[in-house]
Amino acid sequence: MANFETTTQTEQHSEEHGFDTKAIWRTFWILLVITCIELVVGMFIAPHYHPYKLWFNILYIIFTAAKAFYIIAEFMHLRHEIKNMIMTIAVPALLFIWFIAAFLWDGNSYKHLRNNYDPHHKEQTTTPVKNAPAHGEHEELPKPGAVH
Amino acid sequence: MAQAVPANQKWWGGGRSPFNVEYGKLMMWYFLMSDAFTFGAFLISYGTVRFSSNGWPDPNHVFSSFPFAGSMHMPLVFVSLMTFILIASSVTMVLAVGAGHAMDKKGVMKYLFFTIIGGLMFLGCQAWEWTHLHHEGAWWGRNPFLNFDGTPSSTNFTNFFFTITGFHGFHVFSGVIINIVMLIMTWRGVFERRGHYLMIEKAGLYWHFVDLVWVFVFTCFYLF
Amino acid sequence: MSNEAVLHGHPEVVTTHEVHHDEHHVHHHKETFITKYVFSQDHKMIAKQFLITGMTWAIIGGLMSVLFRLQLGYPDQTFPWLEDILGRWAKGGKITAENYYALVTMHGTVLVFFVLTGGLSGTFANFLIPLQCGARDMASPFMNMLSYWFFFGGSVVMLSSLFIQTGPFSGGWTAYPPLSALGDASPGSKTGMDLWITAMAMFVISSLLGGLNYISTVLNLRTKGMSMTRLPLTIWALFFTAVLGVLSFPVLLSGFILLLFDRHAGTSFYLSDIYINGVGALPNEGGSAILFQHLFWFLGHPEVYIILLPAMGMASEILSVNARKPIFGYMAMVGSLFAITILAFLVWAHHMFVTGLNPFLGSVFVLLTLLIAVPSAIKVFNWLTTIWKANIRFTPGMLFALGFVSLFISGGLTGIFLGNSTLDIHLHDTYFVIAHFHIVMGVSAFFGMFAGIYHWFPKMYGRYLNSTMAYVHFWVTLIGAYLIFWPMHYEGLAGMPRRYLDYSIWESFKQFSDLNKFISTVAMIVFAVQLMFVFNFFYSIFKGRKVTTQNPWGSTTLEWTAPIRPGHGNWPGEIPEVHRWAYDYSKDGRDFIPQTEPINPNESKH
Repeated sequence: MANFETTTQTEQHSEEHGFDTKAIWRTFWILLVITCIELVVGMFIAPHYHPYKLWFNILYIIFTAAKAFYIIAEFMHLRHEIKNMIMTIAVPALLFIWFIAAFLWDGNSYKHLRNNYDPHHKEQTTTPVKNAPAHGEHEELPKPGAVH
Repeated sequence: MAQAVPANQKWWGGGRSPFNVEYGKLMMWYFLMSDAFTFGAFLISYGTVRFSSNGWPDPNHVFSSFPFAGSMHMPLVFVSLMTFILIASSVTMVLAVGAGHAMDKKGVMKYLFFTIIGGLMFLGCQAWEWTHLHHEGAWWGRNPFLNFDGTPSSTNFTNFFFTITGFHGFHVFSGVIINIVMLIMTWRGVFERRGHYLMIEKAGLYWHFVDLVWVFVFTCFYLF
Repeated sequence: MSNEAVLHGHPEVVTTHEVHHDEHHVHHHKETFITKYVFSQDHKMIAKQFLITGMTWAIIGGLMSVLFRLQLGYPDQTFPWLEDILGRWAKGGKITAENYYALVTMHGTVLVFFVLTGGLSGTFANFLIPLQCGARDMASPFMNMLSYWFFFGGSVVMLSSLFIQTGPFSGGWTAYPPLSALGDASPGSKTGMDLWITAMAMFVISSLLGGLNYISTVLNLRTKGMSMTRLPLTIWALFFTAVLGVLSFPVLLSGFILLLFDRHAGTSFYLSDIYINGVGALPNEGGSAILFQHLFWFLGHPEVYIILLPAMGMASEILSVNARKPIFGYMAMVGSLFAITILAFLVWAHHMFVTGLNPFLGSVFVLLTLLIAVPSAIKVFNWLTTIWKANIRFTPGMLFALGFVSLFISGGLTGIFLGNSTLDIHLHDTYFVIAHFHIVMGVSAFFGMFAGIYHWFPKMYGRYLNSTMAYVHFWVTLIGAYLIFWPMHYEGLAGMPRRYLDYSIWESFKQFSDLNKFISTVAMIVFAVQLMFVFNFFYSIFKGRKVTTQNPWGSTTLEWTAPIRPGHGNWPGEIPEVHRWAYDYSKDGRDFIPQTEPINPNESKH
């Protein structure tokens, strides 16, 4: 068939990676370790440092991005595709930056709008429910199913 | 060999795929791109509503049970197990694709089978979690949980949770169906006759995408 | 698994360069009526199906506008015949308020999605991509067929919503909640809205199936020598259109799914603090109606480019062919298409300046929006320089392409007004907006579509459209469009709001009653002329003057190297190989040099 020379070359190229079982298992362990770190941080560390929630969230985002990278690059094999193809996936994905930023920005603004101009709303949503436990001491108390 | 083509032919010169992939795989990639925007829109909507709310329930508090563990407080453990199952099934899927490259029919069938089992286990876990939450009084339009600081929470916490995990579960479910179809086709030797197992590769892409989405769902719902 | 074998794996139309394969497909293809005209997998037939379905919708949607223009032009009169055709929609010969809104809503939905998206890019992407890229068919002819039938299914569902007891959806084509989320909000928000969402969901699937096909065909199935920079601009435009659709429609789908949950599952994604007259206060809390608007316009803005880009691409091609000059600034044209595609995703919230959007965020959107003026201006100047000092052939296709440029300029300029959030405080929701978007994306996209139809009709049916009718069609439509929409700018600047049933009871806008009458009259004339075009179209399919030469317009592109009426597979022999770009007109003393002609060593460089 046509393109004989070029294709045999790239075929070897792709086979080389397609069969790299070692890389697959390495990816598996990386993903597992990251998940375990997330589990430990989320279960034992973060609950004791509530004021630093934002920093933990940033940490989670970094972990998530790392996991996403390994899944896309190794499992979905994208790292081993031709660079131009990677670009056709990566460039449109950049649209998410503004997609996320603008939406969350406006969501946050909506909160302030309502808190400023709807005192009833603010009072309703910022007054704790009576007799309901504040978070942290719920182990002994029944589940807060009071608000239906 | 219709025409001899010089070895230095350009990728973009026409008459061939510039990415050296068949059109089906290309379509699958761009479909996944499109689907990423579907999920992205869901998750970003969730973020938007959460940013516009004065309070939000604490996931560590809501998702703290484990099957048969009674009232033990084990946040995140169950969902991490689900993550593990999905990652493991992704690995078996890659191995199936690899076996396909080697034209190893038995290998493909074996690994596809494991992948399907993984998918079913994940769905089972999700069913358990949904049932558990439902017993606690949570459903679309019903939210029994309070915000982190004890203030009343809107129903959007559960609304988004069920909608997005449901949509993801639907994807897992269709992935399982696709894999079962692939298993049957492999078993009947369709791909062997065709001379390549590219369909497995495309099904694999879809399956990994489901895994990928779960990574984000995991972060957005269980960690934040 | 060589590149070739893998590339062209689909069994129906094999795209290898081997001759015996090609012949196999041309001659041994048994076709029944069903496989040829109904469930056809031939991209040319699918294109015609899209076109004719789109035309049907255009007539329905246009008729709706005539009906509500009747109300707007003659608010104090009754038309008993209206009751005859519309029944209780027009009790006593006067359209009721609910049905007026239903007509406006359906007019918008139908024209934007079913005509100018499905009918326009569905038709020309299907028809031109394989022919101009040099492919036997789309990458997946089967998915292509599904794409049409999902479109058709969506059409049927949308159409059926016109005939239900509570009427079609009537909350505006943008379907903002709470009107769209609460069945109690209005009659049209009941079953009509469910059908609306169902139809739109099917439409999204159709556009996804089509779009994936267009993208992978353009990337993978170009013939030998057809590098991306040798593609005609039509293909570039249709390619970017498909990219826009594939990336933005899913966001709309997500928005609709959340809306469905709000409607039927008791959620409150978009709902908060609502009181309905006669029902009382609703328990829904914590949602945000602005969220839906964000999701909607994240599609909605790319959508206007989904409508416009194919028209731009076809106009570029037709201007160059009929000016007998190479397109001016080919790479700049491609670059500006790309820039528009990117920017289309970044500017959506300029539709929401006054909805409660954060004003500072709004100012960022103003900046991004005004940036679109740059690639748009590049395109306009390139079109103008293409026809500059040209020996223009005023074929009907060319006239419509020129009309497109004119309308795009006039409509685009008012876009700069509206892109400013401060001016928008005054201009939002007025007739100024109506005038702007009807000119820039409604009529101008229609002109691009007409240009395409007149230009490629000979390729579609092997006959010409009647030219006399075409000239009448062009001049009446162009002048009519300006007469209809130009005055609306003045009404809008005076503050006349859109979406009102009757302006005559309004002291400030009484003065416009004659103007409104005038607009309505012109609208009816223009609509009648469109019917003449439809007649011309169907008449010419059967009785039009026959095309006798393979390349009637003297065009360089590949579709004119195929037989006059190409069969499934497009070229009877080998697919031609391409040696040059698509715009070698008036070069080296020759009128044109087809893309298939090898480069002569003595040739001058372009």
